[in-house]
Amino acid sequence: MGTFIQLVVDGLATGSIYAALALAIVLVNQATGLINFAQGGMAVLSAYIAYAFTRLGLPLILAILIAVVVSFLIGAVIERFLIRRFEGGDPDTAVVVTIGLLALVTGICAVRWGYNNLAFPSLFPLTSVEILGAVVSVRSLATTVTIVAIMVALQVLFLRTKLGLALRAVADNPSSAALSGLPVGRLLMVGWGFAASLGAIAGVLVAPQLTLTPGMLDTALVYALAAVILGGLSSPIGCVVAASAIGVLENLAAVYVPLVGHDLKIAVPFVLIFVILVIRPQGLFGRKVVVRV
Amino acid sequence: MKIRNKPGGVLGIVAAASIVALSLSGCVRDGAGQGGGGSSTSPGITDTSITLGVTTPLSGPTAGPGTCTVAGLAAYFGAVNAAGGVQFGDGKKRTVDVKSYDDAYDPQKSLSNFQQMVADNVFAVTSGLGTPTNRAFRDAAISQEVPQVLVMTGDPLFSDREESPWQLGFVPIYQNEGAAFGKLLAESGAQHKVAILSQNDDYGKGYVSGFKEAIGGAANVSVVGELTYEATDTSVDAQLTQLAASGADVFFNAMSITPLVISSLQKAQQIGWKPSWFLPSNTSSPTAILQPGGATAYPGIYSVSFSKAPQSPAFAKDADVVKFLADLKQYGNYPDMPAFPHCMWSYMVGATLEEAFKKMTEPNRDSFMTALRDIKGLQAPLMLEGTAVDTTTDGQPAVSSVLVQKYDGRGYTTAEKFG
Amino acid sequence: MRTISAVLANRSVRASLIAVVAIALIVAPLILPAFTNQTLVRIGVYAVAILGLNIVMGYTGQVNLGQIFFVGLGAYVAAYGVNHDWNILLVFVAACVIPGIVGLFVALAAARLGGLAIAMVTIALPIVGVPLAKRLDEFTGGSQGTSARFTDAPDWSGLYNDQWQFYIVLLVTAAAFLLARNLVRGRYGRSFGVVRENEAVAASMGISPYRTKVLAFTVASIFGGASGFLYLAAVQYTSPETLSFGHSISLVAAMVIGGAGSITGALIGGAYYVFVPQLTNAIDPNLTAISQGAILLAVLFLLPQGLVSLPRVIRRLARRRTAPSTPSGKPPQNSPVHHPTTEAAVREGLETQRGKIDHED
Repeated sequence: MGTFIQLVVDGLATGSIYAALALAIVLVNQATGLINFAQGGMAVLSAYIAYAFTRLGLPLILAILIAVVVSFLIGAVIERFLIRRFEGGDPDTAVVVTIGLLALVTGICAVRWGYNNLAFPSLFPLTSVEILGAVVSVRSLATTVTIVAIMVALQVLFLRTKLGLALRAVADNPSSAALSGLPVGRLLMVGWGFAASLGAIAGVLVAPQLTLTPGMLDTALVYALAAVILGGLSSPIGCVVAASAIGVLENLAAVYVPLVGHDLKIAVPFVLIFVILVIRPQGLFGRKVVVRV
Repeated sequence: MKIRNKPGGVLGIVAAASIVALSLSGCVRDGAGQGGGGSSTSPGITDTSITLGVTTPLSGPTAGPGTCTVAGLAAYFGAVNAAGGVQFGDGKKRTVDVKSYDDAYDPQKSLSNFQQMVADNVFAVTSGLGTPTNRAFRDAAISQEVPQVLVMTGDPLFSDREESPWQLGFVPIYQNEGAAFGKLLAESGAQHKVAILSQNDDYGKGYVSGFKEAIGGAANVSVVGELTYEATDTSVDAQLTQLAASGADVFFNAMSITPLVISSLQKAQQIGWKPSWFLPSNTSSPTAILQPGGATAYPGIYSVSFSKAPQSPAFAKDADVVKFLADLKQYGNYPDMPAFPHCMWSYMVGATLEEAFKKMTEPNRDSFMTALRDIKGLQAPLMLEGTAVDTTTDGQPAVSSVLVQKYDGRGYTTAEKFG
Repeated sequence: MRTISAVLANRSVRASLIAVVAIALIVAPLILPAFTNQTLVRIGVYAVAILGLNIVMGYTGQVNLGQIFFVGLGAYVAAYGVNHDWNILLVFVAACVIPGIVGLFVALAAARLGGLAIAMVTIALPIVGVPLAKRLDEFTGGSQGTSARFTDAPDWSGLYNDQWQFYIVLLVTAAAFLLARNLVRGRYGRSFGVVRENEAVAASMGISPYRTKVLAFTVASIFGGASGFLYLAAVQYTSPETLSFGHSISLVAAMVIGGAGSITGALIGGAYYVFVPQLTNAIDPNLTAISQGAILLAVLFLLPQGLVSLPRVIRRLARRRTAPSTPSGKPPQNSPVHHPTTEAAVREGLETQRGKIDHED
């Protein structure tokens, strides 16, 4: 039983890594209607920026805040000067552009900071506490709490604020949003900026555990995408729940289902996605969209 | 759709044809593709220079160790060239050029790079990292008679002379490393329960099979848990939780991913599991891994090695290490303290190649292979006392002797016995 | 330009042009240097994979991020067949049919889902495929991979290996492109297009979107398998690395860069997939990630429709110069050939991507 609870707790901790990135993907999708493959790469760049500022002697929290602000600008600039060209075009092309962006950003990090694993300082101590007989590290506990806070903030942003409504309107239908007087271009920039800032937070949250390398979030990206689809593209809560569920189920299946084992546990979330989407095509928490002919 | 395709179709064919036409304007086939042996001069060597090629991951997830395989080699020959070059066995002095190619750990690209090297007149391929990427052009290298030597894979196939006449591995085969630790454990006499975690590929399997063979006859060692992980995993917490429950007092962790080793060291002590550890030679760096992992919490961290660790304070003033770090910075375009041992290994590859160059009597690949297979007792720079390059044994790579070492809180000291 | 197009449209001119190209392709390997042949061989390998991807993605509009899985499966089947001394024709057929069957089963399930859900199911193929290939090491050789040499030139031919491989790949690639061209220009091609633009419209026209998607997906898998056979012919080795997820993403990128929804685009995409790594290696092997990203972004920024649209763009620019009365201003952001319906459909497609639509056939 002790092992079981520990596995669940471990799964939640791993899930929080996926959730951090998944939230950024949901945000950019809600704000621009695009899936951004470069989200992980941009988050890594943000973490490197924070790292560079700590090396200059700034306190960690200040370095992170600067990275968050700089990332907002980077995100907005990328939207304005790169992604803007592909808005309203073939969505496949836009996705491929983000793939190119991923390669570019990863390459820039590699040239500037090299491929060595860099130790990134953590905001939280490396101690652990016992809950229900399971050992939880304070670091992953704090990560989870931060992510839940961001999730709530996003939910409020999208559903309760004017800005959130405007962002969604632009993503949903840019031409009618423009007709109703919304500054479409600026809102798209803001959406990308927010997502990049959120990515920065995600990056600095997971960097202490994964250590900073240019490809730090490459694997997590796949899981984050899975969580996003599973939770429903429009729901921050959904994707956090889905990410946690993926982390936990993966662990349990690996340990308790001999056929799965640790090598094939990555199949678990995808089988799960498949089953759930057949039953609920809009994802666990997503909104239904009606299509017009 | 239709309107779009028609003109594009025809013009596209014209475009494709023009690609071919462009290529046609290049040189006409002279049959240079094959061969390379014989008693004459091989491609890639002139009276003043020799060209080596490296195909290795310089981008993607394995780029960390990959860049090191080039940097160390470039550092070694950069320094040698600056001093005038190598005095070859045929009496001529030559400088050594290193050309590197990125294969991103993709076998298809490494083959493509090999073909490019043949076209670029590379004398020999060396130092590249990766089992699948080296295997992908092994057959081609044999049929074209191009040396593919001192490569960074512990796959025994590359050191089998009959199977691989134009190949030679550099680093100890994985089995040797695992066996060295297994032997130490078996000889300890005390009762030990071992938990095994290994990477799910030939790397992990090699370590585990070597280890198991070494403890085969020993009654005092039993394996109580054995799990695997994928090199792409972000966390191995679940495996550690499961293995901790086995109550093992020795943890054999054949893991090649730096952040996973660090987080394993942290995780196991968090859940109160404090066994003795075994770590492979490429993921046991004192500063990059053991310190952040809090390794002093464990009764012992054992690893195998044949190279001095530049990060270790014990070697901070060592002449080899000082020169190595200076060369790496000046010629290897690698200003940081290397976090991967591949930087040191490829530096030693440079020294081994230089030895072969000094011995080769004719400027061709046959003579090079003969010379390369005739090196014994070479103490390459950075090698630990008690290890040496020996290329004369069939079935063994250039380095086959390893020493088991124990972490002392700062660096490593050689461990004569377990405990 | 007009007149050249008019001449090209002439049947006999086209026929003779094709004949010239065919002869050039047959003669070329005999005089080209080995490395050029080897490069052309690899272009053929990936052109076929991208062609399949183009059918399901470019023509039918279903995002497929798992094409490399079928390439890898085809290569493994071929390797297994070669190492068990099957007849080479049987090897080829098996390398196409087995991925085709797997693709059919995946499609039967996945085509029920819309938009991104399909993308997710297809992502799963290479992600699960890699550990699966390692586990089934009796068939695959595990992580060390498996070698299979069957494309060394036989003595009677008097050819070098690279020339012999060129002809094998040329044969299969040419057949694949002819088949694909006929497919997309025929009845099925039309239904692909309608399903891509609007599934509801397709259903109202009596075209089952479900069946159309399954067909497109299965055809893509067969082409993937054929490409896998060619991969083995060219590389003579395969391992789990062959089907890693990253390559699948690169295939999608190469397809879009070549030109989605264009047969020629697939060929250009194959060339891009093979040339760019060589080019970036020549620029600086330590900067490949940056330069590959930059090249991709530059190409799409200038030609959002892919490289295949280059002649059209040049023609348009030339026309604008000769007719300055044309209202100047920004060039249209979308396809140079403007259809209002396509515009609407793209918008609709965007929405399909965003939320999932539960339209069953």
